[in-house]
Amino acid sequence: MTGTTMEISGVNRTDRFTRGSRLVDALSKAGLALAILAVVLYGSFASPAFFTTGNLLNVLTSMSIVGIVVVGMTFVLVAGGLADLSVPATIACGAILSLGLQPMIGPVPAFVLAVALAGLIGLLNGMLVGYAGINPIIATLGVGTIGLGIVQAAVGGVIVYGSNTASAEFAKGRLLGIPVVVLIFLVIALIGHFVLSRSFWGRWTLATGGNYSAAEASAVPVKAVKAGAFVITALASGMSGGLLGLTLQSARPLIGSGYEFSAITAVVVGGVSIIGGFGSVPRAIAGLVFVQLLTNVMVLQGVRTPIQGFVLGILIVGAVGMDAALRKRGVA
Amino acid sequence: MTAVADCALDMRGISKTFPGVKALSNVNFAVRFGTVHAVVGENGAGKSTLMKVLNGSYAPTSGTIRVGGNEVRMRKPADAQALGIRMVHQEINLVPDLTVAENVYLGRMPGKWTWLRKGEMIRKAAAVLKELGAAINPRERLGNLSISQQQLVEIAKAYAAQPRIIVLDEPTSSLSEHETAALFRILRKMRGEGIAIIYISHRLKEVLEIADEVTVLRDGSMIETRPIEGITAAEMIRLMVGREVSNVFPKSQAEIGASVLRVERIGDGASFRDVSFDVRAGEILGLTGLVGAGRTEVARAIFGLSRLVEGSVVVNGRKVVINSPSEAVRAGIAYVPEDRKGDGIVPAMSVRENISLPILRRLARFGRIRRSADRSLSATYVKQFSISPPDGERRINLLSGGNQQKAVIAKWLAAKPAVLILDEPTRGVDVGAKAEIHHIIGQLVADGMAVVMISSELPEILGVCDRVVVMRDGRASTPLTRAELSEERIMALATGEEAA
Repeated sequence: MTGTTMEISGVNRTDRFTRGSRLVDALSKAGLALAILAVVLYGSFASPAFFTTGNLLNVLTSMSIVGIVVVGMTFVLVAGGLADLSVPATIACGAILSLGLQPMIGPVPAFVLAVALAGLIGLLNGMLVGYAGINPIIATLGVGTIGLGIVQAAVGGVIVYGSNTASAEFAKGRLLGIPVVVLIFLVIALIGHFVLSRSFWGRWTLATGGNYSAAEASAVPVKAVKAGAFVITALASGMSGGLLGLTLQSARPLIGSGYEFSAITAVVVGGVSIIGGFGSVPRAIAGLVFVQLLTNVMVLQGVRTPIQGFVLGILIVGAVGMDAALRKRGVA
Repeated sequence: MTAVADCALDMRGISKTFPGVKALSNVNFAVRFGTVHAVVGENGAGKSTLMKVLNGSYAPTSGTIRVGGNEVRMRKPADAQALGIRMVHQEINLVPDLTVAENVYLGRMPGKWTWLRKGEMIRKAAAVLKELGAAINPRERLGNLSISQQQLVEIAKAYAAQPRIIVLDEPTSSLSEHETAALFRILRKMRGEGIAIIYISHRLKEVLEIADEVTVLRDGSMIETRPIEGITAAEMIRLMVGREVSNVFPKSQAEIGASVLRVERIGDGASFRDVSFDVRAGEILGLTGLVGAGRTEVARAIFGLSRLVEGSVVVNGRKVVINSPSEAVRAGIAYVPEDRKGDGIVPAMSVRENISLPILRRLARFGRIRRSADRSLSATYVKQFSISPPDGERRINLLSGGNQQKAVIAKWLAAKPAVLILDEPTRGVDVGAKAEIHHIIGQLVADGMAVVMISSELPEILGVCDRVVVMRDGRASTPLTRAELSEERIMALATGEEAA
C-alpha cells in the first residue's frame, strides 16, 4: 500500500518536473553561456586592458592550471564524493617534487614521479572514502594535512627552485601561438570528457552518484568507482602542480592553497550536482571560464579582494541552492 | 453494537483511496474502554493504513471517527496525541544517546520555557517504570539497554502520557517468551485502568491469550469483529485469507530440468539461519512469509549484497563463494530488489542507461561504450516487454511503476543469468502491469531460467509458483509442492501455527 502511495506522489512530482525542466534545462545550459557573454561584453567596455591578447592569454594560462584540477573534481562530485579538499597538498606534492627531483633523476622522470606520488595521495583518499566509508570532507582534509606536512618536512619548509632550463622553457613556451599549458589542459579536458560521457567507467561514475544502492545492486563496482574519482583528481592536481612549478620555476609548500576552492566553485557554478549523479566536464569548464573571467574583470576594475570573495561566495551558494531546488523537483 | 458511553473509539465507514488504489473500503471499527482489541490480517490487508488514519497521519477519504463519543477530525499526529491516542511502533522510535527518563518525556519535558526540571523528570519516569513493573534505571543511557527493554521504555513513554487509547504494532516481535509474559502483565494492568488497547499482531496464539475482541481485515475491508471466546486460530486464518481469487495467473507449462541454484544451511549470523532450498531450470520457487521473516535478507545475501557466515551456495553443480554483486552476476545469479526506487533504478538516467548498467563492460570496446550496441540492447527489451512509452531515451523516473519494474527486470536479462531472484516484483504496480510481469516471468522459465520469487501476496504465490518455501523468524520450511499448497497452510506456517 505504501509503495503505491509513493508511486502516486512520484508521478505528481515528475509531472511538475517535466514541465519546469524544459525551461530550467534551457536556462541552465544557455544561462551560463549568456553569463559568460555578459562578462566579456562588460569587461571590454569597462576596461581597455580586458580585451587584449596579453590579458586574455594570462587568464587562459591561469585558468588552465585550475582547469586540470576541475576536470578531476568533476568526477568526484559526479560520483557523489562531495569534494576533494586535499588538492592543495597534491598540487604542492606535484610542484615541489617535479622541481626538487630534477637534479637527481632529470626533468621528465621527476615530473612523472611527482604525478604518481600525488596519485598515491588520491589512492589513500579513495580507500578512506570508497572502502572505509569515511565522510569525504573529513577524509580528504585529514589526508591533505598529512600530505602537506610530509612535503613540508621533506623540503624543510623552504622554497624549492627549478634547475632545468629546458623544461622551464617548454612549460612556458607556445605552440602555434598557444601556450603549452593551455594545450595540455585542453587535451586533459578532452580525455576527461570522453571518459565521463562515453566510457563504461564514466557511466558507472554517473550511476554511483545517481543512486549508490541501485548501482551496487546492478553489479557496478561502486567502491572502486568512488575511490577512482579521488585518484583521478589527485593525478590531475599533481599534474597541475607540476606545470605550476615548471612555469614559476619555484615551489613552496603552500603553492596550492586556494586551488581546491577555485576548482569546487567552477564545478558547482557549472551546474554539476554537489550530491552526485549529474554533470559533465564541458559544464564544469563553462563554470570555470565564467568564474575566471569574472574574477579577471573584478581585478582589472580594482574591486577589493574581500568583495571578490563575497561575489564568489554568493555564486556558490546560488548554484548549490539551484541544484537543491532541482533535486526537490524530481531528479532524486 | 456497544453502548456509546464505554466506546473509546468508533470508526465508521472509513475509506482511504490513493489515486488508483483503494486501501481501505468502508471499514467499521469500534474499541471499548478497558479492553484489548486485536487487529489481524495479511500483509497489505490495511492494518497500517487504518492505524495511520487513527493517529492522524492520513486523512480518511470518507467516514467518521469518534473518540470517547465525540466526533473528531485529525490532521496530524499531534492532533491524535492531544486526544489521548498513543502509538507504539514496531521499530523503536527513541533517541539512543538520551537517558531513559529523557526519552520517556521527550517532547513533553517538565519546565517548558524555563530550565529543564531534571530531578522532577527522573522522579516521574521512575514512578512510571515502577508502575509498569519494569526494572530499568531512568538515568541509564537508552542505547545501553537491550532491545526488549527499549521496547518497554517505548511503552512507558506512551503510558506516561496518560492516554485513553494505546495502539501497539507487533510489540512482541523482538521479545522473548518471558518478556512477552511481562508485557502482557503490563497490558492487563493498563486494561484494568480503563485504557483501550489496540493490539496488532501476526502471532495468533498471543492474540488468543491477551485479546478480548478481534477484528479481521482483508484487502482493505473489515471482515468481522468477534469476541475472542469461541474463535480459534484456524478460524482467524480462514477469515484472513478466505477471499475469492479475482486475478487469474497464467501458469506456464515449462519443462522442469536440473537443479540450478541450491543453498544449503545458509545463515547471515543475524536475520536468518539454516535456510536450505533449491530451484531447478524452468521452475518458479516462491519464497514467502510475513514481513520481517528474513526473505529479503536471504536474497540479498545470495546476491552478495551482504555476507553469509555459514552454509554453501551451489550454482549449476559448482560451489560458489559470492562477496559482491559482480561475483554473483559472474556466477549466473541476478536479483531484482524489493525497493525499486531505492535499489532498482538510477532515477536521473534514461531507460537505456539503466538497462545496460550491469553489462556495460561487455558493451564497451577499449573502454568506450559502443553506442549502437547500447541502443539496440535497450530497443530489444523496450519492444519485448512493451515498455511504455516505447522510448529508451526517456528518463526512467518519468515512467509508471510497472514500466520501471519491467526495465529493472530487463536489465538483468541482458546478463543472461541462470537464476533470477525477484523480490516483490509486482508490489505497487497496477493490475495490468502485474499480469504483464507475470507473463514475462512465465516466458523466462519457459526458456529454461530458474526463478525465485519473493512475495507477500498469497494469491500471487499460489498462482505463479511451482513450489513454495515459507519463512518464519529467519527459518525456512521445507518446500511445499503445488499439491500441498493452500493459503491456510502457508499462513499457518508463516504465523507458527504449524511447525516448519
